[in-house]
Amino acid sequence: MDGRKSVSESSLNVAQPVLQARDVSVQFGGVQALSDVSVSVRAGEICGLIGPNGAGKSTFLNAVTRLASYGTGTIMLDGTPIEGAKVRDMIGLGVARTFQNLGIYASMTVLENVMLGGHHQFGGRFAQTIFNPMSSGARERAARVKAMTVLEEMGMADVANTIAGALPYPLQKRMEIARALAAEPKILLLDEPAGGLTHGEVHEFGELVDKVRRSRNLSILLIEHHMGLVMGLCDRIFVFHLGRNLAEGKPEEIKSNEAVISAYLGRAA
Amino acid sequence: MSDGSRSRLVKFGLFAAAAVLLPLLLPGYALQQVCIAIAYAIAIMGLNLLMGFGGQICLAQGALFGVGAYVTAILNSDYGIHPIATLPMSATATALVGLVVGLPALRLQGLQLAIVTFGIAAAFPQLLLKMGGITGGVSGLPIDGLEAPTWVPVSPELWLYVVSQCCAGIAALLVTLMLFGDVGRALRAQRDNAQIAEALGVNLTKTRLWAFAGSSALAGLGGGVFAIITGFISPESFLAILSINIVIGSIVGGVTSVVGAFLGGLFMVFVPTWASDINLSLGNLIYGLALILIMMVARNGVTGFIEKWLSTILRRTADNTASVKETREELT
Repeated sequence: MDGRKSVSESSLNVAQPVLQARDVSVQFGGVQALSDVSVSVRAGEICGLIGPNGAGKSTFLNAVTRLASYGTGTIMLDGTPIEGAKVRDMIGLGVARTFQNLGIYASMTVLENVMLGGHHQFGGRFAQTIFNPMSSGARERAARVKAMTVLEEMGMADVANTIAGALPYPLQKRMEIARALAAEPKILLLDEPAGGLTHGEVHEFGELVDKVRRSRNLSILLIEHHMGLVMGLCDRIFVFHLGRNLAEGKPEEIKSNEAVISAYLGRAA
Repeated sequence: MSDGSRSRLVKFGLFAAAAVLLPLLLPGYALQQVCIAIAYAIAIMGLNLLMGFGGQICLAQGALFGVGAYVTAILNSDYGIHPIATLPMSATATALVGLVVGLPALRLQGLQLAIVTFGIAAAFPQLLLKMGGITGGVSGLPIDGLEAPTWVPVSPELWLYVVSQCCAGIAALLVTLMLFGDVGRALRAQRDNAQIAEALGVNLTKTRLWAFAGSSALAGLGGGVFAIITGFISPESFLAILSINIVIGSIVGGVTSVVGAFLGGLFMVFVPTWASDINLSLGNLIYGLALILIMMVARNGVTGFIEKWLSTILRRTADNTASVKETREELT
C-alpha cells in the first residue's frame, strides 16, 4: 500500500498528464451524453471513473478511443490533441481498452486474441505475407513470444490454445485485459473489468491490476461499480453524474462527499 | 489438437490419393471436365478467402474469372505469348480489376454489396460483346492447344491435368500465405466484429481491398487456366449465372476449406450434368433438390460434414483404445 502511494505522489510532480480531457461534450442525436467533463490521468496513476448508470462513463471511454466523436472540448495524450486521429490510430498512440460487454473474438484461441493486441506493432504488412514469407514468419514468432509473456504474467498461459468462447466469463475479461497489455499502451482504459467476479476474485483481480501497473509504470483509467475495488485500488477518483463532473479526489474524500452520496442514493444533489 | 491435425492429415491423404488416381481411372473427356472443375476450384479458393475468411460477399467472381480468361486469350492470340506464361499476367490484371470491384465494399456491406457486385456480373457478358475489337465479340477467341514438352511422355489431356493441378497448388499456397499470421487474423477479426478490429488498429479499408485483390487474382488465374483447357472462349462462358454457381460451389464445398474448393468445383461441373442424365426434362429439379438436401445434411459444406464424421470416428477409436487399456489395467 505504501509503495503505491509513493508512486502516485512522485508522479504528482510530473507536469503533463498522460491523458487530459478538458470540457468534453458528446451528443447522440438530441441526447446530451456528456457535457463539459474533464478528466486527467498522470503517469503511473490508477484513476477510477464512477457514477450511477447512464452517467456517461462508457461514452467518455468511447470519446477517448474516438469511437464516439465529441463536439466541443479537447482530449490530449501526452500533451498532443487526438482530434486528427482515426479510431484505428488510437492503439498505436498508446491507448488500449477493454469493452463493457466484452470485445473478444470468441471463435479464436486465447493466444490469437492476445496476439491481435500486437497487431499495430507486428501487423498490417500485406505484401510481405506473399513476397517475403520468411520475414512474416519471424514477425509472427516475435508476436507469439510477446503474447505468451503477457499471458504468463496474467496467469493464463495454460489456456493459451483454448478457444476464447469456451472460457468462463471472468477469464474472458482477463484475456481482454491481456490483449490490451499486449499492445504496450501508455494508458489502459478498463470498462467494468470486475463484472461477474466473486468477492474473493475481485480482491485477487485488484492485486493483479496493481502488479501489472507497477511492472510497466502504466496509467489506468478504471470504470467499475465494485466500490471496494475502486476505493482500494485507485489513487484518484472521478465521479460522473448525468453526463457531468460531480466530484474528483482521493478515495477517502469521495467516500465522504455529500454530493456523491446523494447521487448514489438517488436523492437530489 | 492432435485430433484436429490427425483428421487434417487423413483428409489431405485422401485428397492426394484422389488427385493421383483420377487421371488413371477416367477417360480423356471426363478428365478434361475434371480440369475445368479445377479451374473453377481456383476461383472458389479466392472466394473462400474473401467470403469465408473476410466475410465479404462478392457475386462478381464469375466476371473476374472471365477477365482472367480473356487476358490469357488476348495475350496468346494477339501477342503470341505462350499460354502458361500469360497466367501470372491474368492473375495480376484481374487483381487490379478486383480492387476496383472491391471499392464499393468500403461503404457497403452484406446484401447491398451482393447487389452491386452482381450488377458487375450481369453487365460483363454484354461488355465483352460491345468491346468486340479486342474480345472477338460473339465469335470469341481461340487459345493455342498445350502440348506436353518432349521429356514428359504423357497424353495432351493428362498434361492439361498436370498443369491445372500445379496452378491449383500455387493457388492453395497463395491462400495459405495470405491467411498466415497477423494478416489472416486481422482478416478474421474484421469479419467477426469490425468495430473491435478497428479499435485494435486494423485498417479495414486496406484489409478488405487486399482480400478483394487476392480473391480476384485467384479468379483471374482460374479463368486463365479455364481458357487454356477449353482452347476457346466466348462471352457465353461467363454469363451472370457463373458467379452464382461459383458462390454455390464455395458454400457446398465449405467456405473455409481448400479441399472444399475442389469439391465445389467438381460439384459445379458434374452435378448439373448428372442431374440431367437421370432425367433430361427434370434436370433442374433434381439439381435444385440436391442443393437443398446438401444444405440440410451438411450445413458447413461437404468438407465440414466429412470433418465432423472423421473426428467422430477418430474419437470413437480413441475411446475404444482407452477403454481397452483401462480394462487391461483393471485385469492386471
